[in-house]
Amino acid sequence: MSTVVPGRRADLIDPATIASLGHIEIVARWVVDGFLTGLHRSPRKGFSVEFAEYRPYQPGDELRHVDWKIVARADRWVIKQYEEETNLRATIVLDVSRSMDWRGDPGRLTKLAYAERVVAALALLFLRQRDAVGLVRFDDRVRTALPPRARSGQWRRIVTALDDPGAGRESRASEALEEAARLIPRRGMVVLVSDLLMDPEDVVRNVRSLRHAGHHVVVLHVLDPSERELPAAVGGANEALFVDPESGLELPATVAEVRDAYRATVDGALREWRESFTSLGASYEVVTTDAPFGVPLRRAFAARQRLP
Amino acid sequence: MIDFLSPLWLIATAAAAIPLFIHLLRRRTGARVDFPAVRYLARAEREHSRKLRLRNLLLMLLRVAAILLVAAAAARPVLRVGGGGHAPTALAVVLDNSLSTSAIVGGRPVLEDLRARAAETVRRASADDRVWLVTADGAVHGGGRAAVLDAISRVGPLAGAGDIEGAVTRAAALAGEAPLREREMAIFTDGQATSWPATISSGRVRVRIYRAPGDPPANRAVVEAEASPFRWTPRGAVLARVLTNDSATYRIALEGRTLARGTAAVNEEVMVRASPPERGWTAGSVELEPDELRGDDARYFAVWIGPPPGVRVLPSAGVFVASAVDALIGAERVTAGKDVTVVPVDQAATLPALLIAPSDPVRVGAANRALERLDIPWRLGSPRRGESAVRFQSSAASDSAEGVNVTFRYSLTRGAGAYADTLATTAGQPWIVSGPGYVLIASPVDPSATNFPVRASFVPWLGDIFSQRLSAEPGTVSNATPGSVVARPAGADALELAAMADSARSSTLPLHDDSLPAPDRAGVYFFMRGGERAGALAVNPQPAESQLRRLELTTLASRVRADDVRAFDRSGELDASVFASAPRRPLVFPLLILALAALLTESVVAGGGWRRSST
Repeated sequence: MSTVVPGRRADLIDPATIASLGHIEIVARWVVDGFLTGLHRSPRKGFSVEFAEYRPYQPGDELRHVDWKIVARADRWVIKQYEEETNLRATIVLDVSRSMDWRGDPGRLTKLAYAERVVAALALLFLRQRDAVGLVRFDDRVRTALPPRARSGQWRRIVTALDDPGAGRESRASEALEEAARLIPRRGMVVLVSDLLMDPEDVVRNVRSLRHAGHHVVVLHVLDPSERELPAAVGGANEALFVDPESGLELPATVAEVRDAYRATVDGALREWRESFTSLGASYEVVTTDAPFGVPLRRAFAARQRLP
Repeated sequence: MIDFLSPLWLIATAAAAIPLFIHLLRRRTGARVDFPAVRYLARAEREHSRKLRLRNLLLMLLRVAAILLVAAAAARPVLRVGGGGHAPTALAVVLDNSLSTSAIVGGRPVLEDLRARAAETVRRASADDRVWLVTADGAVHGGGRAAVLDAISRVGPLAGAGDIEGAVTRAAALAGEAPLREREMAIFTDGQATSWPATISSGRVRVRIYRAPGDPPANRAVVEAEASPFRWTPRGAVLARVLTNDSATYRIALEGRTLARGTAAVNEEVMVRASPPERGWTAGSVELEPDELRGDDARYFAVWIGPPPGVRVLPSAGVFVASAVDALIGAERVTAGKDVTVVPVDQAATLPALLIAPSDPVRVGAANRALERLDIPWRLGSPRRGESAVRFQSSAASDSAEGVNVTFRYSLTRGAGAYADTLATTAGQPWIVSGPGYVLIASPVDPSATNFPVRASFVPWLGDIFSQRLSAEPGTVSNATPGSVVARPAGADALELAAMADSARSSTLPLHDDSLPAPDRAGVYFFMRGGERAGALAVNPQPAESQLRRLELTTLASRVRADDVRAFDRSGELDASVFASAPRRPLVFPLLILALAALLTESVVAGGGWRRSST
């Protein structure tokens, strides 16, 4: 099953719409299936495997992995599973701080909900590529740390971890990125999914450390569209007292007056992030929560494809 | 200079404080909103604070300007601009053509100068102006500049004072109700003090007064002239008074014939007795030598002249009455005849008659029957004895009849609704009464009943009774000023307009109403009844009109109550002051355009267009 709506790919549908149709696990499968359907063929073939165990056949499994002998002998459809020899070890670092749990419009997903589905889909995609995937969730401290694994149950563990409560008060990425580095003993890939509402110097310093360790770093900067450009009336008011849920910083402002200046400031901040990461050789992508899940997936996957 | 046609709307400019308050309080209101990217907001404000402050200030100024401009436009401002003539003006010209303006000053009548000044002013009117002429008699002329100029050229002096107050009030109403913004009243007058006795209100009309220059001439005038009594039989007197600074010669005439000439001293009352041969209603005049004001050099009076009445005294009336009548006959006040009978009441059979109460109370019954037969409403009552003083109702009689007492009399009772005139009373009750064709004395004319017949006043009183009360009724004399309203005498059906001043033109004016306007020219006019003269109307100017003293300019200006009153005696100053309002151009449209421009600019700046264009 590769599409939710007949004739339409799930990775290209409005994220809030598809997220409303099912649990994160199901949504991630739909997205990845849709995404892979668009690739035409498997990009990575011929890797060697060693047999590990059998499992019951499920619709969608490739027929070439069916053990026909057992089918003929016992009339039971099973799939041969192998201890995969992974090509890449990737760790996804997800920011679950309170600032992520926000949306500018009730019709959209919160940044956290969007990011969790992206992480689930990305993890599934990597696993299907026979890559080992781990997960680190953090806010003001590391909440979850799953070492990279390529086993089939790894994705299940990741999805389960994503259901854990998070949304601590503030973001402290340095500790999480250090944890990610520890989880990957040799060169690998670190995907940071965050709104980057944190101290830039800390983030850049840790990304630099990861790069020095030989890791490839991909940063998915998640933004709500209302953060990218202030709407005419935030919260239904033109005059408002804006409060940062993490730091408690309060700032009275008139939207109509600061809208242009805010846009310019955000553009400048994103430009600074991009320059900082690209100067370190890291990939940096800005993703807004109204973009279909295929967008961040494609950008992260493209970065993966550039690796050996 | 800017004026506002609806200045109350300027109160709306207070609304300009609204954006000011909003500007000052804008950061103190609003909802509380969770917004994770507050750090970007803070950075934006920090980095763009100068530009934001300028923008906010510009927005506030534009909003304040828009409100001020709209409020100012609602107040309908107009801009006075110099040059190009004057603003459309409603001008009411009051031309004082009262008698005093006919005085000669500097070789020509004052009115001529006033007319010339008024014409000069009206010639400066434009096609957009509205002009009226109001004269002292209240006549209004409108219809445009040419018509008013024509009317001014035809204005002549009145024979009297006219009604300056009424003219000013009327002119103020004309100008004040005109649908033009500029409203003026130009008054051309000689400033005679007696014509401006009190303050006149002219509302919100701007008032300019031109007073004729120079000093008024010394004036002589006949300020009083009357026949006394107005009914001569045929003897009578003319009373006159002359206003003069020194002695003045006068001439008294009847129907143009000189009756008397003389010289009157200052403030001397002249009385000339006469027994002229004329008969019937006659016009008379008292005249002075001509001076600078001709209109008051003659004053007119009317008199009825008839023969002395014939009187017959019955022996029973008493010897005292008979002796008095003989004395009157000797003085030619009356003649022996049968016009009037002096008779005891109980023997009276015809009227007119002087009726004397009987000496014997036994005759009271017969006397009352005679009174009833003659249709006289009075009745004799019980006899009253006891001395009581007599009070005469006529002032002239009371002066000379001081000390008259009554010791025997009859009480008098009167029937309801009957016309009667009480001539004398005693003890608070009527003693001598009068009515049509009769005079009734409630005592015998005898010293045993009253001392009246032995008093010196008795004979003249008796003569007046015969000539004024018991002679045929000729009618009455009415005195009036030119143009005033006069009551029509009972029975009069026409007014003979042949006055002495213009006797060649004789015509009659039918009378239908209970009142009539007095002719505009001084003179004597006669009321007619059935083609016969039945009374007279003497028309003369007000005596005060002969006092030519003028008011000072400041005093004259104070006699008109208005927001802006100025008085001049030089035509140049007047010309500069009338039609002095510069044309005004409305500023509503330009202000609304500016307000719209301010709002458009505000919307551009508020919408970010300004920012985009500036960055």
